[in-house]
Amino acid sequence: MITHHPDDNVLTEYASGSLATAMGLIVCAHLQTCPHCRKRVEQLNKLGAAILNHSVAETIQPETFEQLMTRIRNQSTDVAVSDVKASRSPELHPVYANDPLLKHLPKVIAKLLPRDGKLKWERVSKGLKSARLVTGQKEYEVAFQRITSGSTVVEHDHRGLEMTLVLCGSFSDEDGVYREGDFLVRTPGETHRPTATQNQDCLCISVVEAPVKVTGLLGKLINPFLSFRPA
Amino acid sequence: MLIPNIGPDKHQRDDTWSRLLEQVGQARDEAAFAKLFAHFAPLIKGFCLGNLNSNFPAEAAEEVVQEVMFKVWQKSPSYDATKAAASTWIYTVMRNCRIDLMRRHQRTPTDREGIGIDDIWDEADDDHAFVYLQQASNEALINRSFTQLPPEQRQVLTQVYMQGKTHQQISDETGLPLGTVKSRVRIGLKKMQTLIVGEEKVVEKNRGNAQ
Repeated sequence: MITHHPDDNVLTEYASGSLATAMGLIVCAHLQTCPHCRKRVEQLNKLGAAILNHSVAETIQPETFEQLMTRIRNQSTDVAVSDVKASRSPELHPVYANDPLLKHLPKVIAKLLPRDGKLKWERVSKGLKSARLVTGQKEYEVAFQRITSGSTVVEHDHRGLEMTLVLCGSFSDEDGVYREGDFLVRTPGETHRPTATQNQDCLCISVVEAPVKVTGLLGKLINPFLSFRPA
Repeated sequence: MLIPNIGPDKHQRDDTWSRLLEQVGQARDEAAFAKLFAHFAPLIKGFCLGNLNSNFPAEAAEEVVQEVMFKVWQKSPSYDATKAAASTWIYTVMRNCRIDLMRRHQRTPTDREGIGIDDIWDEADDDHAFVYLQQASNEALINRSFTQLPPEQRQVLTQVYMQGKTHQQISDETGLPLGTVKSRVRIGLKKMQTLIVGEEKVVEKNRGNAQ
């Protein structure tokens, strides 16, 4: 049961199209597992339609329609239809398909996996590995975080906004337990120490808009690994 | 081809447009497409021009209209009237078009690893058969409740949607604190929800009386 959802502000930014692509990515992944938020976004899209319907109708230049029809007739519609179909169902590399944490990823996330099967995991600290994902976003770092079962991640705070989605397994921190599909927002200045549950590794995807700083004594040693590297 | 003389008519029932859109998608019906164009193109242009201070140059509005309606034609085979009304579906096509245009404008490629705008902003994607416990409120109710909002909340929601700006950007530009922008959006949405629930109860009651 998903208990942590994006709030109305985040969903409104998503539905109105202003949310940064990297953030949109994990909101989308959450929607693929959360009927509650999907319904909410549907309503927010209907609000978009209402605002469109209330727009002032502006006169269209008479030649626009004819130009459009010429453009449409000049291109093969059959190609367009098959394009729609072809963009679906990405093939999962055997390396991912055999990994219990990766084989059931939401489709939008699965598309981010390197196609050659070479997802590069880097050790961040004891119990925590991370793998950066390429999204073409300059201002955001998108990465998988993998916490070994039962491990506690070194305490860290957030200098920038961070959105996290639990993809597999669960973890807990001072504020609660987060399970598959749960969506979390950490605002700058918040400090936490996540611990994965005993029986299973936990996989999350996170989007960070500025460097995460590791606090505490150990942090000084670990910080270089957490340098902000958008890709 | 002549554009049929059907002006924008807000009183026309939305399912008329949905039927036309289905004809475009299934039968590639150009006459049906012309009717949709005559109704939605002026609204899309108005929506774009209501878009002050954005990355949209006003003179580009015609081009945007053409681009959106081109996508509507292209994507219409995937339109399913049981999932969304035409106006909502066209709104999402328009929104994705704008995201695409704005990204291109800022030269931030999003397609490097095969992830496109439509992968992230895609409501039509329905591989998991979701079971909706309750049908989302219909367009007419949402439309009506929006018009009943106090101007302040209506304005902030219009800004969010028309200008495609984040809460932070609106805060920066208007000088309103971020918290105020956020709470106006939330209160506006909550108020709409209250109005919708109220109306739904009335509808239920009337249905009960009729039986």
